[in-house]
Amino acid sequence: MSKILFSLGFLASSLALAADLTVDVRAAGLKPLDQVVIYAIPQDGLPLPPPGRAIMDQRDRTFTPHILPIQTGTAVSFPNNDNIRHQVYSFSPPRRFQIPLYEGTPSQPIVFDKPGVLALGCNIHDRMSAYLVVVDTPYFGLAQDGQVQFRALPAGTYEVHVWHPGLRRTMAPQLVTLNPSDRHELLVPAGPR
Amino acid sequence: MNKKTRSFQTKLRLLMIAGLVVLQAATLVAVHLAGRRAVQQTVSDELRVGARVLARVLESRGQQLAATASVLTADFAFREVVASGDRPTITSVLRNHGERIAADAVFLISLDGTVDADTLDNRFVDTPFPVRDLFASAQSGEPTSAISSFEHRAHQFVVVPVLAPVPIAYVGIGFAIDDKTLEEVRRLTSLHYSLLRASAGEREPVLASTLAGPARAELAQRVRALSPSSFAAPATLAMDSQSYATVIEPLLPGNEGDMQVVLQVSIDRARRAFRRLELQIFGLSTLALMGSLVGVTFLARGISLPLQRLAERAQGIGAGDYTATIEIGAQDELGQLASAFNQMQSGIREREEQIRHQATHDSLTGLPNRTLFLDRVQLAIDRARRQGGMVGMVMMDLDRFKEINDTLGHHFGDVVLCEIGRRLLAKVRASDTIARLGGDEFAVLFDTADPPGALEIARRVSTILEAPFAIGDLSIAVTASLGISLFPLHADDPGTLMKRADIAMYDAKKNNLATSMYESGRDDHSLRRLSILSELRQAISGSQLEVHYQPKVDFTTGRAVAAEALVRWQHPVHGPMPPGEFVPLAEQSGDIRMLTRWVLERAVTDCARWNREGLDLSVAVNLSALDLYDSQLPSVIEGLLRASGLEPTRLLVEITESAVMKDASHAGKILGELKDQGIVISIDDFGTGYSSLAHLRRLPVDELKIDRSFVIDLREEGREDLMIVRSTIELGHNMGLKVIAEGVESLETWKVLAKLGCDLAQGYFISRPMPSPQFEAWMRGAPWTPESSVVGRPG
Repeated sequence: MSKILFSLGFLASSLALAADLTVDVRAAGLKPLDQVVIYAIPQDGLPLPPPGRAIMDQRDRTFTPHILPIQTGTAVSFPNNDNIRHQVYSFSPPRRFQIPLYEGTPSQPIVFDKPGVLALGCNIHDRMSAYLVVVDTPYFGLAQDGQVQFRALPAGTYEVHVWHPGLRRTMAPQLVTLNPSDRHELLVPAGPR
Repeated sequence: MNKKTRSFQTKLRLLMIAGLVVLQAATLVAVHLAGRRAVQQTVSDELRVGARVLARVLESRGQQLAATASVLTADFAFREVVASGDRPTITSVLRNHGERIAADAVFLISLDGTVDADTLDNRFVDTPFPVRDLFASAQSGEPTSAISSFEHRAHQFVVVPVLAPVPIAYVGIGFAIDDKTLEEVRRLTSLHYSLLRASAGEREPVLASTLAGPARAELAQRVRALSPSSFAAPATLAMDSQSYATVIEPLLPGNEGDMQVVLQVSIDRARRAFRRLELQIFGLSTLALMGSLVGVTFLARGISLPLQRLAERAQGIGAGDYTATIEIGAQDELGQLASAFNQMQSGIREREEQIRHQATHDSLTGLPNRTLFLDRVQLAIDRARRQGGMVGMVMMDLDRFKEINDTLGHHFGDVVLCEIGRRLLAKVRASDTIARLGGDEFAVLFDTADPPGALEIARRVSTILEAPFAIGDLSIAVTASLGISLFPLHADDPGTLMKRADIAMYDAKKNNLATSMYESGRDDHSLRRLSILSELRQAISGSQLEVHYQPKVDFTTGRAVAAEALVRWQHPVHGPMPPGEFVPLAEQSGDIRMLTRWVLERAVTDCARWNREGLDLSVAVNLSALDLYDSQLPSVIEGLLRASGLEPTRLLVEITESAVMKDASHAGKILGELKDQGIVISIDDFGTGYSSLAHLRRLPVDELKIDRSFVIDLREEGREDLMIVRSTIELGHNMGLKVIAEGVESLETWKVLAKLGCDLAQGYFISRPMPSPQFEAWMRGAPWTPESSVVGRPG
C-alpha cells in the first residue's frame, strides 16, 4: 500500500470566548482530501454537550453515509430504506452487535458508548460497508474539499485527531491551543490509504 | 548361350535388388531420421504441453480453492467466531471448516501477518505465516494461490481475507499436492510429474510424484546431476529400464519460486509409434522386394527365352539355314524383334540368292559365268562317270569382236553378245548349259555319245551366226571359231577340259576353220604360248629385247639408204625367240602396242644418232594392225622425233597389206596423220592380200614392199613370179610409189630386180639383220657391191 502524505491544516479561530478552527487536510502535492474524519478533543475538562442521535441509512444496498462520526453515547438508528432485507452487523471491538434481518427502521436505536471505529457490514450483502467513528467529543467533522471548519469552539487546548479508513497507522494527534476570538489554521500532512 | 542368358537374368535381378535395397535403405533412413526428429519434436511438445497443463491445472485448482476458501470465510458464524478472538473456539472452527473443504492446514492470520490460530495444534501461533509472500499478495488483493513445500509435503496455499466487511483477519488454507493430484494431471498428459523443492545444495526428497517407488527414489538420487535442459533439448534419463526425456522447470512460472517440477515423458513410448511405422515400411519394402524379384524373374525369362531362341535362329542363319522361321506370340518388342528377324532372314536369303546369281551369272547376258559353268561341268563329269557317256564342251570365240566394239561402240557389241546368248539358248537342248566365259567367249556344255555327236552340236551352234546381226540400219556378219573337247577323251577334269577346248578353238582360228576338235599333244604348244606372253612383258620392261637392223640398198647406187628395225628376243632360258612366234602372240594379246612403241623408241634414237654421226640413213619400223587402232600413236611418234631430233622424213613405217585392208578407212586416218608429220609410209608384204587398188590410191602410201614369197625364187625364166613382180613394180611406179623387194638372197634375183627397175632391195644377199654396233660397222666398212656380197659376205 503506497503511502501518500497529505497535509492536515488546522485553522483555529475564536470569538470572545469562542474561537474558530479550520483544518485543511491535504495529500502530498497539497491535494485536498475528502471523507477524512477530523475531530478535536478538548483537554481542559470542559463540560461537553450531551450526545444526540444519528442515522445510518441504507439505500440502494449502500450505507449512507459511508463514514459516520458520532460522539460517544450517541444512539444510532439503522433505517432500511430498501425494499429488501438487511442484516447489519459489526464485529468491531468497541461495540459488537447485529440486527437480524429486518425491514424498515428497527425499533431500538443502538447506543455506542465506547469510542473507537466500528466497521459496519450487511451479512447478506458483502459489498455493503460503512464506518462508525465514535469519538469522545462533540467537535468532529468530515472534510469537504479537504477542509473542516469548527466554529465557535470554546477557547482552550484540543487534541486534533485525523482518521480515515485508508490510514494504516493512527496519526499522532496534534495539540492546538485556541485563544478566545482566535482564528486558527492548521495544515497537517497526512498519509491516507 | 545359356550361361549368358542366366547372367543377364542374374544381372537384371541383382540390379533390381540393388535398386530396391538402396531405395528401401534410403526410405528407412529418411523415415528413421524424420522419426527421430518427430520423436524429439513430439517429446518436446509433450513436455511443453505437459508443463502448461500442469500449470493450468494447478492454477485453476488454486482459483477453485481460493473460491472455496472465500465462501468458507464468508460464513457469518465463522466470521463471528474469528471476531470473538477466542482462540480455542477459533481453532475448532478452523478445523471444522477446514474439514468441510478437505484442507490439510488452516491458519488464521492477523492483519500484521502473524498466525493467531492454526489447525496444527497451534504450533505456528505468534509466528509469521509460513507462506509470507502469499500473505502479502492477499493483502494487495492479488491472486492468492501459491505452492510451497510445507511440513515436507507440497502444499497449495490460498490466503483469503475475513471480511467484516473490512478485513479483520486472513485465513490461510493449505491443500496438499500428493501423488493422486499429479496422477490426475498425468491422466491428461501421459507425462510423469515429480515435485521437488528447489534449495541449492540441499538434498530434498521428492515431495510427490507419479513415478513408482523405485523410480522415484532413483530420480531423487539422480536429479541433482541432471544437466540444465530445456523443452527443446530435454535431458535423457534412463530409469527403470526406460528412457525418459526429462525437464526440470519452476513449478509455477512467476509464482512462489521454491518449487520445481520434473517433467518426464517416455521416449520409448514416443518412439514406439515410429518404430511401428518403420517396421511397417520395412515389411512393405520386403514384400515389394520379393514381389519385384518374382516379377523380374518372370520378366527376365520372358526376355531371355525368346532371346535365346532368336540367338539360336541367328546361328542357324549364320550357318546358312534360312528355312526355319521363329514365332514368338508376344505382341511386344520381342514379338516385333522376332518378326523383324524373320524379315531379315528372308531378306538375307533373297540377297544371298541375288549375290549367288550375280556370282554365278554374267550380268550382261544373264547366262551362267565361268564359275557356274565349271560347276556344271564337274556335275556332268560326275554323272558321266557313273552312267557312262561323254561330256562335251564347245568353246566359241567371236572373230574380230574387238573391232566391232572399237568401231561400232560397246553398245553394239553388247547387243551382239546378248543376241548370241539368245540364239544359243534357242539352239541347244534344255539339258545343255550355255555360259559366257568373258569377253566374246561363249561355251556350251552337253552330253554326247561320241565325237561325231559333239561335232554335230558344234555345227548346230555355229549356225546361229548365219543370220547377220542388225541394229537399226546397221547389219553386221559375225564369225566365230569353235573348239571342242570331250570327257573322258581329252581331259578328266573341268579345268583341263576347258583349256583343251580353248586350244582347239585357237587352232580353228589359226587355221581359218569354223570348228576344230582338240587333238592330243596340242597342250604343250598352247602352254608355251601362254608363258611366252607373260615372259614377253617382262622382256619388254627388262633388257631381253634388242633391235637388229637390216639395210635397204638402192639398186642404182648400191648404197644403203635405210635400215629396217627388227625386234629380237634373247630369251634367258629358250635362247633366241623367233619373232614369228611371239609377235603374233603379242598381236593377239594386245601387247604388240607396247612392243611397237619400244621398237620405235630404239629405232628413232639410233637413227638420230647415226644421222648426227654422219650416216645418211632412214629407219623403218613395222606397225601391226592393232597399232592402227592406237589413236595415240601419232602423238607418241611425234614426241619421239622431237626428243631425238630425227627428221620425220627419216622415219618409215611399214604396215602389212592385210592390216591396212582390214579397216582401210581407219588405217587411212592414222596413216594420214603420220604422213602429215612427214613420215614415210610403206606397205609391207604387198601382193599377199587382195588389195583394192581404189583403196590403195586413197592411202598416203610412199612405198610398196613386194612380199618375199614372190622374190625368193625369182628367176629370169620363172614365169609367174616374174610377171607379178614386174606388174607390181610397174603399178607402183605408175602410182608414183617406190618399190622395194625383200627376200633378195641371190645375185640372180638382184639382177632380175635391177632389170625390172625395182628401186630398193633387202635380204640376206645384202645383209642379215645385225645388232646396232655391227650395223654401224657394216655401214662404215667398204661400200657394198653385189659382187663383193657373192664372195665376201654371206650376209
